[in-house]
Amino acid sequence: MATAISVSGRRVECTDDQSMLEAFLRAGIWMPNSCNQGTCGTCKLQVVCGEVDHGGSPLDTLTAEERAAGLALACQARPLAETEVALRGEEMGRTTHVLRDLTATVVEVEEIARDTRRVLLGLEEPLAFSAGQYVELLVPGTGERRQYSLANTAEEDKVLELHVRRIPGGVASEWLFGAAAVGDRVEVRGPLGDFHVPDADEDDGEPMVLIGGGTGLAPLLGIARTALERHPDRTMVLYHGVRTAADLYDTDRLAELAATYRGFNLVTVLSRESVPGHRSGYAPDAFVDDIASARGWSGWLCGSPALVEAGVKAFKRRRMAPRLIHREKFEPADAVGAGN
Amino acid sequence: MTTTQQAGKQDLSWLDDVTMTELERNPYPTYERLRREAPLAFVPVLGSYVASTAEICREVATSPDFEAVITPAGGRTFGHPAIIGVNGDIHADLRGMVEPQLQPAEVDSWVDDLVRPIARNYVEQFEDRGRAELVAEYCEPVSVRSLGDLLGLQSVSSDKLREWFHKLSVSFTNAGVDENGEFTNPDGFTPGDEARAEIQAVVDPLIDRWIEHPENTAISHWLHDGMPPGKTRDREYIYPTIYVYLLGAMQEPGHGMASTLVGLFSRPEQMEEVVDDPSLLPRAISEGMRWTSPIWSATARISTTPVTITGVDLPAGTPVILSYGSANHDTGKYDAPTAYDLHRPPLPHLAFGAGNHACAGIYYANQVMRIGLEELLEAIPNLERDTGEGVEFWGWGFRGPTSLHSTWEV
Repeated sequence: MATAISVSGRRVECTDDQSMLEAFLRAGIWMPNSCNQGTCGTCKLQVVCGEVDHGGSPLDTLTAEERAAGLALACQARPLAETEVALRGEEMGRTTHVLRDLTATVVEVEEIARDTRRVLLGLEEPLAFSAGQYVELLVPGTGERRQYSLANTAEEDKVLELHVRRIPGGVASEWLFGAAAVGDRVEVRGPLGDFHVPDADEDDGEPMVLIGGGTGLAPLLGIARTALERHPDRTMVLYHGVRTAADLYDTDRLAELAATYRGFNLVTVLSRESVPGHRSGYAPDAFVDDIASARGWSGWLCGSPALVEAGVKAFKRRRMAPRLIHREKFEPADAVGAGN
Repeated sequence: MTTTQQAGKQDLSWLDDVTMTELERNPYPTYERLRREAPLAFVPVLGSYVASTAEICREVATSPDFEAVITPAGGRTFGHPAIIGVNGDIHADLRGMVEPQLQPAEVDSWVDDLVRPIARNYVEQFEDRGRAELVAEYCEPVSVRSLGDLLGLQSVSSDKLREWFHKLSVSFTNAGVDENGEFTNPDGFTPGDEARAEIQAVVDPLIDRWIEHPENTAISHWLHDGMPPGKTRDREYIYPTIYVYLLGAMQEPGHGMASTLVGLFSRPEQMEEVVDDPSLLPRAISEGMRWTSPIWSATARISTTPVTITGVDLPAGTPVILSYGSANHDTGKYDAPTAYDLHRPPLPHLAFGAGNHACAGIYYANQVMRIGLEELLEAIPNLERDTGEGVEFWGWGFRGPTSLHSTWEV
């Protein structure tokens, strides 16, 4: 069974097992979305006519008043009848990378830091995405989905690179730090999320600051490399914040980037130990110490909610325009419930 | 009728002691008691009946038994025919004259190009200083420069436009009367008279020019639009409406921006939300307009026939002042109305009035306030209220903060 849903004059079929967001994205119709688990509210839209089941929409994200006013979360809502929705704000009708289901093959699993692995997944056909987006993995043998940012640039579309931090007892960790082996097949769905580089024609080469906590470095690697290739002279500072030096990874790769691009700087920040060559404390504080004014800069934050919140405050304190602040909160995937 | 009996029982002699000074400093306690005891009552110092609840303000504003009338002090300040105080054909002609430029689709076609550069220019003047008094340095200049340019008054400085609306405003609200209905402070009209003389000295030559050479300015359109070829509206006919613009339309977007900022400063977490997501600004502004309505108590209606409202019998020809600022604090409609709350249920408010005299500039004013606050918070996302300085609101007819000192890290 499928029900017709439409937005901005475009009509698509939404099957019984799909959220409206999924149906739109699969048809290549972009709409704002971020967490895909009903907690961030990015995909809130207006039901113009028709009827929806709000599904797992939390009351915190979609209040009773908002429901009464006809708002819905696209990632949770399912149409009960033919339904027309309208996006709020300016985001109408952009096209996007089509959301797809793919089967990938584990090409490599590499220990890169303490409790941290790089996983490379080979695809049979290329996946179109923007640097910074994420994919969902169906953890083999569990039926559970977990979200991982891509460390790739858009050109690296045949082998997906994921950075995975071990969560004790987590279903994905059990597999990736246990039975996972080269040659394993795994179901992947993507691309998802709105944390990504702007299109090249909207990128005017402004200075950028990126702050990643732990494996929050992953999408920043794709974003930084894409942005530097476009504008080799741009000013860019990447802060990688971790607990101890043993948690750092890809420092050689980033040193290479600094050698290639004069305007690029890497700052590693350790919160739990003091080691020569690294800053001590938290990455957002290091940024505040280093940059007197970030007016006109764009900012990119990926990591724990606490790190992202602190980063937003630090950026605003240095007068970065909020519309230029991009954020991706890593809720440890294994700590979130069953998701969608 | 229960209401009649209750109204009849109320001892309203306390109203004899209400003074203009008290109303201008803080009208809320008086009006809170009015809403509770006598939502339609004769207030001696104003020489007029006053409607203070949302329900009665709306009823009077939209009733077929009432028509518009300008308050006596307003009429003394603006002269006749001011768009806010006329009815019938003259009102229809004046609305038809001002409305084409104020239609949402029309406003959308130029408002961003008009207001955004002005807002950027003013914010650039202090953004690296780390402190500013936002009423005088930002909210008022953005408001007057935008409207001034729209009207065709590019040659008049923003400071002069601000001076004009301040002078017209104190005259318009010089409402105090004695028991004979005579103004108790006739000298209070001197600033308005001075402003009008200055305005005519500046605008007359412009009108002379626009009569011969029409331009795409609001006042030029007012002269020509809808007139037979070769004819223009008489300048004496449009001057009172020019004064309406030079007071209310100049002053109130500034008041609205400043009050919204004060409200947001009172809820730092809500300020943070709005800074992070400027698409919340229209809602923040709407709540600011409810919380401290800029046109607090400046419009009136007059009964055209004997009428009974909430149990009070009014003969034909009875003026009623509509206290929208009070109506928007009506506990019958809003929970904790004295608190600014971005997230309160977005019920309609009366800040822009109701009925056929509802504000014609509602869409334009909302866009000016939105763009002004967007640019301010984009340039200074770390804006904070300077807690070393107080914020004082003033005004009964028109109300807003008299100053708003702010600081930020640079």
